[in-house]
Amino acid sequence: MTSEEPFKIAVSDDDLALLKRKLDDTRLPDEINAAEWTYGAPLADIKRLANRWKDGYDWRTHERKLNALPMFTRTIAVDGFGELNLHYVHQKSAAKGAIPLLIVHGWPGSFLEVTKVLPLLTAVSADHPSFHVVAPNLPGYAWSEAVLKKGFSAKHYAELFNKLMISLGYTEYVTQGGDWGHVLTLTTASLYGPKHVKASHTNLPMCEPPEFFKNPIALLKCLIWSFTSDGRKKTAVSQDFFKNGMGYFAEHSTKPQTLGFSLADSPVGLLAWIYEKLVAWTGAYPWTDDEVLTWVSIFWFSRAGPAASIRIYYELSLSGEVIVFPKTTVPVGLSFFPEEVAHFPKALLRSKGNIVFESEHEAGGHFAAYEQPEALVGDLRKMFGKSGPAAGVVSGCTGY
Amino acid sequence: MTSEQPFKIAIPDDALALLKRKLDDTRLPDEVNAAEWACGAPLADIRRLVSRWKDGYDWRTHERKLNALPMFTRIIAVDGFGELNVHYVHEKSAAKGAIPLLFVHGWPGSFLEVTKVLPLLTSASADHPSFHVVAPSLPGYAWSEGVVEKGFHAKYYAELFNKLVISLGYTEYVTQGGDWGHVLTLTTASLYGPKHVKASHTNLPMCEPPKFFKNPIVLLKCLITSFTPREREAAAHSQNFFKDGMGYFAEQTTKPQTIGFSLADSPVGLLAWIYEKLVAYTDAYPWTDDEVLTWISIYWFSRAGPAASVRIYYELALSGELIVFPKTTVPVGLSFFPKELARFPKPLLRSKGKIVFESEHEAGGHFAAYEQPEALVGDLRKMFGRSGPAAGVVSGCTGY
Repeated sequence: MTSEEPFKIAVSDDDLALLKRKLDDTRLPDEINAAEWTYGAPLADIKRLANRWKDGYDWRTHERKLNALPMFTRTIAVDGFGELNLHYVHQKSAAKGAIPLLIVHGWPGSFLEVTKVLPLLTAVSADHPSFHVVAPNLPGYAWSEAVLKKGFSAKHYAELFNKLMISLGYTEYVTQGGDWGHVLTLTTASLYGPKHVKASHTNLPMCEPPEFFKNPIALLKCLIWSFTSDGRKKTAVSQDFFKNGMGYFAEHSTKPQTLGFSLADSPVGLLAWIYEKLVAWTGAYPWTDDEVLTWVSIFWFSRAGPAASIRIYYELSLSGEVIVFPKTTVPVGLSFFPEEVAHFPKALLRSKGNIVFESEHEAGGHFAAYEQPEALVGDLRKMFGKSGPAAGVVSGCTGY
Repeated sequence: MTSEQPFKIAIPDDALALLKRKLDDTRLPDEVNAAEWACGAPLADIRRLVSRWKDGYDWRTHERKLNALPMFTRIIAVDGFGELNVHYVHEKSAAKGAIPLLFVHGWPGSFLEVTKVLPLLTSASADHPSFHVVAPSLPGYAWSEGVVEKGFHAKYYAELFNKLVISLGYTEYVTQGGDWGHVLTLTTASLYGPKHVKASHTNLPMCEPPKFFKNPIVLLKCLITSFTPREREAAAHSQNFFKDGMGYFAEQTTKPQTIGFSLADSPVGLLAWIYEKLVAYTDAYPWTDDEVLTWISIYWFSRAGPAASVRIYYELALSGELIVFPKTTVPVGLSFFPKELARFPKPLLRSKGKIVFESEHEAGGHFAAYEQPEALVGDLRKMFGRSGPAAGVVSGCTGY
């Protein structure tokens, strides 16, 4: 494996010029009267954001800010897929016994999601544990190379992550993930724990529904839960997501290339596609226009282009790995945020593994690390701290 | 209602220049190795089509050809929606007793689908019946005005069509439709037959699956019926479609505006979105590049823009009218083409209405009128001809 290279984002002037030309020639659709969010991203929002992106939004300013993060690239070989150049954030804590933590994002996220939790996780204090943080960009996201061979499934991501951590000197570590990060980190725990992965935490706990003949008790428990007022509310949220919010998922998991042409070619198309989820999946997060545009620009300027980012849906649907709770023996922590897209019954989740930590929050949604950084870090500190249920899982790393 | 205005397509030079600029700045995605059609439209096809669209394809030539069709616009008022300007093709047969026929397209079709059947339907002969043909563009397609109020359900389309056909002097008529045309023409027959609509024909017969408790006999028949090898093949083809080909459908029925931004802004995005279906839905139809580009250009240059065309999915999914066989008492004819998207069991379809004509074909797919014009017209001639099961349904119009 090649040794680590420091990495700075340096989008070319040509790429900036192309974006500007495309934005200048944006052709917007009309809209159904009083549509608001019912038909998708509202025209007024997209028009305002496109105008800002065209004039006012300064990519170079945000590029500079991102470049203040400790970013690197490294080439990692994955069995059957050759070498992949991975882009990641890596920050060590000053605390000698800090716990190595792998944080994995999902779609439409990126390494950007780690920026707020990073200083909190690495901060040193007698009162809470600290972490060394490794936050890779999935292949095909930000400046990580894309996979161009069929069949890159969850186990390949796991191999990639495990090799990354070990190459950074962390033979034992813990994981945190939401969205794709949930499936991928728990797969990593499943395949490389307890030898390397010592514990896992997720902020989007999900699992497949129980089948009656296989697990009638679990199914019954779910049904009973769905009649409690909390269960009714959460079931309604999940049902609404599955009924009205899964169009993107259906296209991503069946014809990612068809959609990919639009996402690669149209800034406003990409913007609408992602912005719709940035709003729908968060708990009234007060997005600023520049915040949204930076999120979307990372996809627009990504090394592999936006089309590469959605192929994971196709590959992991094909392999059946998309909505699972991978079997793992290591201790697992679950954080529940109210505005998450879907809620799964706790009784069911508890039956899936060694759940040692649960935390229910009053605010926050899908992008927990970005919306509720203190809350999420608070959970990790409780889980891994001195008297926490996963205290001392990593040999010689108390967190202090 | 305003009297008929002859219509000629006349795309402004500005619009052509914008398209050219956008095509010049096309940014294509990469592609997974050996992907072919597995993940969506192949890169090589789209690249070739974009190059042709940019240099070589001459819209003005095709615009001239389209303008040779007898096209008109007319304003029709729809209850609760005000006035809509409808674009349509209208050709009378020389045969005095020709049968008035309403022909309705779907997505991603247009009035273009009538061009091959038009001369066959209107030609006068002692050996077969003739038709006066009315082929409207759905609101939001080609040069028909788009609806910008919520809730334009099937019954409003029916009202629109019925008023259009009556305004042309045909108080009694028959209908033909596939894709959305199936639901919309059968709704028209349901609401305006047998007084105005005397019979209906469809090339995409579809209906909701039977519920055991409501209709156990029919469900049993479906289960017991031994499909012919051809029917089994068609059913398998249909299952593939439901499994892998419904991504567009999921997005269009839930967030049409979100995908609308891409379709309105990106020529290559629109091209890929539609081309994928032009190939998947047809029976090895030998599309030429210019043929594809004309189909797409009609969407690109449409009066309401491409985003308007996908809203029908949202409105008719919301109203529950999407996959139905509207109840009607008029005689109905069904044509089955082997590469149609979905194959519904004949016992079920027969239970839905007064099916007086059925025809099974060896070749052809979703765009039957375009792929197999002689076959489709042959079916209509058999159904409505002298000794046909729907002979003489329209008073005073034997077809001869």
